[in-house]
Amino acid sequence: MTDDVDRRRFELLAMPHLDAAYNLARWLTHNDHDAQDVVQEALIRAMRYFGGFRGDNARAWLLQIVRHTCFSWLKENRPAERAFLDDTDNSVHDIAAPTADEPPSIAIRKADRMQINRAIAALPVVYREVLVLRELEDLSYNDIARIADVPVGTVMSRLARARGLMRDALTPIAQPMLRSVPRSMHAGRTS
Amino acid sequence: MKPHIEAREINAFVDDELDLASRLAMEEQTRQDVTLREQVEGLRQLREAIRRGADYHAAPAALRRRMASLTGTKPVAHSRPADVIVAAQRWIGWHPVVASFGLVAALIVTMNLAWLHSSHDSRLLDDVVASHVRSTLGQHLVDVASSDHHAVKPWLSSKLDFSPPVSELQIPDSKFLGGRVDYLDGHPVAALVYRQGAHIVNFFVWPSSGRDSSPEFSVGRGFQTAHWSQGGMSHWVISDLNAEEFERVVRAIQLVDGDR
Repeated sequence: MTDDVDRRRFELLAMPHLDAAYNLARWLTHNDHDAQDVVQEALIRAMRYFGGFRGDNARAWLLQIVRHTCFSWLKENRPAERAFLDDTDNSVHDIAAPTADEPPSIAIRKADRMQINRAIAALPVVYREVLVLRELEDLSYNDIARIADVPVGTVMSRLARARGLMRDALTPIAQPMLRSVPRSMHAGRTS
Repeated sequence: MKPHIEAREINAFVDDELDLASRLAMEEQTRQDVTLREQVEGLRQLREAIRRGADYHAAPAALRRRMASLTGTKPVAHSRPADVIVAAQRWIGWHPVVASFGLVAALIVTMNLAWLHSSHDSRLLDDVVASHVRSTLGQHLVDVASSDHHAVKPWLSSKLDFSPPVSELQIPDSKFLGGRVDYLDGHPVAALVYRQGAHIVNFFVWPSSGRDSSPEFSVGRGFQTAHWSQGGMSHWVISDLNAEEFERVVRAIQLVDGDR
């Protein structure tokens, strides 16, 4: 009886976030098959720990478990990605600042699906996860911090870094050279 | 002299995650500092490009089924009374002698289907009430707020395999608050949230195989509800408004829905 009530409650609270769970797992594992396995394992865990769930913010709670399951899986199956798991954020603060004279890039506005997907997939996993949680799940910094199990300050640094890497990946190599052309000359030529 | 601003602070500004004081300071600075303005603009464009271009991987049907069997819920079978009646008529045509038996059998089947249908509706009503209550009790009223108005529809569309009607209602005292994804009747649905005076209105919509019908109003557990089918979509509206005002809201929703 209680079991049934728990199942029903779990279904109501957790199942609406199945897409979010799968989306995160899919981006972290890079493929459908592993993502499905990870989500299934995560949901079984989630059901087991459901008693300890206080009832607020089921999405963050579930994604935290999915994220944890993903990282255990990565540790075991993708040791190459693991190098980034232990990455401390010391190096992050300075690199992310955009160059002062960078114009709003037309290349970024025109970037197509494939370029964007490829650029996200190429991000180191700790940057990829904050970017996916922020841009695709539209989660708050607080929720992301809870899911990724890091302080909010780290979420901020990683997100800034992730976007810096995305910007670099989406900006063609020719762009830095164009930048040095004086504006007036450039305008004169195009108009 | 301009203080140096860290990239993560600019990012937090673009994400609307700064506290009020820092945000105001940043807004002021953006007005004065061209470089900063360009950085902010660049980040906004990047953000928009990612949101627009990145694949959202919705859970595959196979996984959804596996998970449903895990939680012990059965996918809802959609009854097709029309097919049954056609089959029964054909059968009667074949065997005129036992037509009366056939008729009785067909009646029983139809009644059972009607009964199944009504129990399905009452279970759905339970779910709708539960979802409405949860949304008003918890902090999770909307996933995307209407302050980012043009973002609500693409966000919902990216999470669902249909595009819900998203817009203000053309009646006084009504405010569109935003949308979220919820789970009803065995699949994800769009929940659009309105405030009517001091009351919250939840409007759920999802694709279904039902034929077009006009709104059926009912009252239960202190809530007004209305549901109807239109253009291959199921619609449920629920609120604790009084009956008269509730009906006005439902008509306004129908207008918005018909316009899209």
